[in-house]
Amino acid sequence: MSTVWITLGVAGGIIVVVVFGRFVWSLRPQPEMSGLPTTPLEKLGWVGVAVTAVVGVALAILVVVAGVTGFHEEATARGIFWLLMMGGIGVWSVAWYVIKKRTGGTVVDERDRAILARSLSVESVVVLLSLVAWTVTLTEVFWDEGAIPLGYLQLLFWSTFIGGAFGRSLGIILGYRREITVDA
Amino acid sequence: MPKATITNSIRRLRFDHDEMTQQELADRVGCTRQTIIVLEKERYVPSLSLAFQVARVFNQTIEDVFAWAEDE
Repeated sequence: MSTVWITLGVAGGIIVVVVFGRFVWSLRPQPEMSGLPTTPLEKLGWVGVAVTAVVGVALAILVVVAGVTGFHEEATARGIFWLLMMGGIGVWSVAWYVIKKRTGGTVVDERDRAILARSLSVESVVVLLSLVAWTVTLTEVFWDEGAIPLGYLQLLFWSTFIGGAFGRSLGIILGYRREITVDA
Repeated sequence: MPKATITNSIRRLRFDHDEMTQQELADRVGCTRQTIIVLEKERYVPSLSLAFQVARVFNQTIEDVFAWAEDE
């Protein structure tokens, strides 16, 4: 490998670390924003983190036990997978319904909407990192074969989907710990 | 360009209006109690629409409730 490529690689790596570091730093909680009552959307954020974490870990265990091919092809593993996904979405939906029902007044206001919009940046970064990790790993593992088993594509999509939902929920929780301004 | 903050007298106005609670004000302007709390702490600058609604609850003009304070 030539010196030029190594230099470019190192420079690119430094830029990525700096940009990512700045992004993570921008999410740090502000002490003066702590101790506030929890809003309905914030509660939903906690539910989202819990549900996606449980579903994500369960999916990882299922893939380890059944294997990537088995996860994609075996009827039992597929059934468990869909049960997990539907269960996760079901729990999240019921939780949101209960939270809304228990909230007497406004459920989501302009500040909540601004925080929800800003949480997209966390989701985008998680999705991007997931895609980079999958692309690099799959390329390295299946370089010689020149083809990737279909089960991996399913896994790629669902893990990114769950990761994105986790990132969005985390972004909501972090959003309430930072000041935000609405320009409207 | 000097940094500016928007101050407000919501807390005083609430107490002047029969000690209106934060929840009561939140319900009347259609926002959450947390938003009223961060507004009073001056950690949140509301939209023009919400600012007008808050002023209307207290029968004040928007300038009587919110002020533009330019830092030195």
